[in-house]
Amino acid sequence: MSASVKGRRRNRLEGLAILLVAGGYLWEAHNVPDLFQMPGVPGPTTFPYLLGIVFAFAGLWLLVSPADLLAHRRQPAAEGRAEERPTPAKGLWTRLTTDWHFYTMWIVVVGYLAFMPFVGFPVATFVLLAVFTFLLGEARWWVIVGLALVVTTVIHLGFAKGLNVRLPLGVLESLLK
Amino acid sequence: MFEYLLSGFAVALQPMNLLIALVGCLVGTLIGVLPGLGPTATLAMLIPLVFSMPPATALILLTSVYYGSMYGGSTTSILVNIPGESASVITCLDGNKMALQGRAGPALAIAAIGSFIAGTFAVLVLTLVGAPVAGYALHFGPAEFFALMVFGLSTVASLTGTNVVKSVITTCFGLMIATVGIDLVSGAPRYTFGNPFLQDGIDFVVVAIGMFAFTEVIVTAIEVREGTRAEIIKAERIWLSWEEFKYSVPSISRGTVFGFLVGMLPGAGATLSTFIAYNLEKRICKHPERLGTGDIRGVACPEAANNAASGASLVPLLTLGLPGGGATAVMLGALMMLDITPGPLLFQKHGAMVWALIASMYVGNALLLILNWPLVNVFARVMSVPAKYLMPIVLVISTIGVWSLSYSSVDLLLAAGAGMLGYYLRRNKYPIEPLILGLILGGRMEQAYRQALIISKGSNFIFFTKPISLTLLVSAVLFLFLPTLLAKAKQFQSARAASEGAA
Repeated sequence: MSASVKGRRRNRLEGLAILLVAGGYLWEAHNVPDLFQMPGVPGPTTFPYLLGIVFAFAGLWLLVSPADLLAHRRQPAAEGRAEERPTPAKGLWTRLTTDWHFYTMWIVVVGYLAFMPFVGFPVATFVLLAVFTFLLGEARWWVIVGLALVVTTVIHLGFAKGLNVRLPLGVLESLLK
Repeated sequence: MFEYLLSGFAVALQPMNLLIALVGCLVGTLIGVLPGLGPTATLAMLIPLVFSMPPATALILLTSVYYGSMYGGSTTSILVNIPGESASVITCLDGNKMALQGRAGPALAIAAIGSFIAGTFAVLVLTLVGAPVAGYALHFGPAEFFALMVFGLSTVASLTGTNVVKSVITTCFGLMIATVGIDLVSGAPRYTFGNPFLQDGIDFVVVAIGMFAFTEVIVTAIEVREGTRAEIIKAERIWLSWEEFKYSVPSISRGTVFGFLVGMLPGAGATLSTFIAYNLEKRICKHPERLGTGDIRGVACPEAANNAASGASLVPLLTLGLPGGGATAVMLGALMMLDITPGPLLFQKHGAMVWALIASMYVGNALLLILNWPLVNVFARVMSVPAKYLMPIVLVISTIGVWSLSYSSVDLLLAAGAGMLGYYLRRNKYPIEPLILGLILGGRMEQAYRQALIISKGSNFIFFTKPISLTLLVSAVLFLFLPTLLAKAKQFQSARAASEGAA
């Protein structure tokens, strides 16, 4: 499948997803209980209905994609030639193995954000800095550990003591208190 | 008036007040630099402190923090493509490209100089014609405000995307996120799905940090890993050249004027002012195609508009008691707590304090330029820190920014979600800036819309019968669709000329 065809297919899928989200948004607006509506006054659903309709319309435009349809009608021959030179598709396993850094980075970031309040800022940040610096290509373990330790300490002291931001100690709380 | 201003300087230049202004500028700059720690929250935290100070000193502290945060917000926009606060979002477009081209120093320098010029202009206008000029803000009712915000959103949508439909989609999505939470008028919970943490709504900082900071970190990390990151050109010089300054002067002037005019409207705020000023600059300036590619005017104009709007927002605050945005709303609260009621009689009842405040703003502007000028060298050197060390640190600081909002793990998860969505949007050419602006303006826009409908007894025609509103709405449609239509017409004409030539 050529890149342009893939792009158009993605646009249509996005249009469909947007239509579904708009439908859900409008449905939720419809479910706001009537007791919140005041007579003669625009209620809490007025603006959401307006937004939902505009969003749905935009999604529909993306799904139908009139510009692409017109372009396709004008140049079907060029499209046919492009079809003969498809871009190679990657299977899921291939993508996972070649792009593992990308997925690992996201897992590390999301894991940090999810677990930092429970594990504690010092431990979570030390692990994040060490792992992320490694993923970015730093191989010297003493640099990784040293940087992670120093940066965690400086940031923790700077924000907790300097700016009075309450950073969770987590697993270190029982040790330090 | 001149003798009042002189007596104001006599108060502002007292050693204690000078020291307070310096501390306020430093704190404000630091707050502006750190993504997530915005001026509104900082001003709110300072309110208990101001009780122990004389009123003039308290106001000097609050306004210097406010000004300082406007200066600081541009630093991270330029260096790491992460806006320090909402009014610096547009600076990312050209500022970061300049930094990648080895011109971080001139970018930071023009931001400081443009801010100084604009801030001084705003204070001058406040001094000379504050009260009469504020009167024009009274012509803006709910319908006009709604139309102004539609105009602002359409300018952003037209500026920041290559596809109008995708820009409209992200704008709408930002407005939809703004509807999450308890409706302030009726008390109805909307899109909370029974989750108490969503009842306060989704803070724009959470989404902005997710979509800018986390996405930027991942994108940079992938580029570093794959070796595709554009090499940051080594800076040949740190300072601004005279030619660059002369080249930027018209943009600074226009940004100052547009930023001031929009910033004076209650509710408009510095954020909307910078977007509108940048869009108008793009329509008016010579060689507009250079904006967005690392043109120094793309930093000069929004930064000037930013600071002009910050000063301008004090005009309706002091003369009419109408705050321009979150930060000025907090300042209004502080004024009320100090038993000072802003309004038309403020100059008569508390003249000495007001003139001291105005004088301190001149002093504050000068202090910020003196403080930030040597810091340009320091900040510019941040670009030489390898990305593999810098990006994880940016990630941690951004996380603290989200955490410090309400110490909620739900915010962190929302930021993670916003980051993943932001990455997808960026990869697939959906502009993020309209989403952020929609989220910031959504609440006020809905309020204006509903107020207008109450006035018109439910008729949407009010937006078309009021001349200012109609003008703004027509301009919004033109700004959004005209560039695309003109481009298509040009293509059609070229194709026709080519076929006629062939024939």
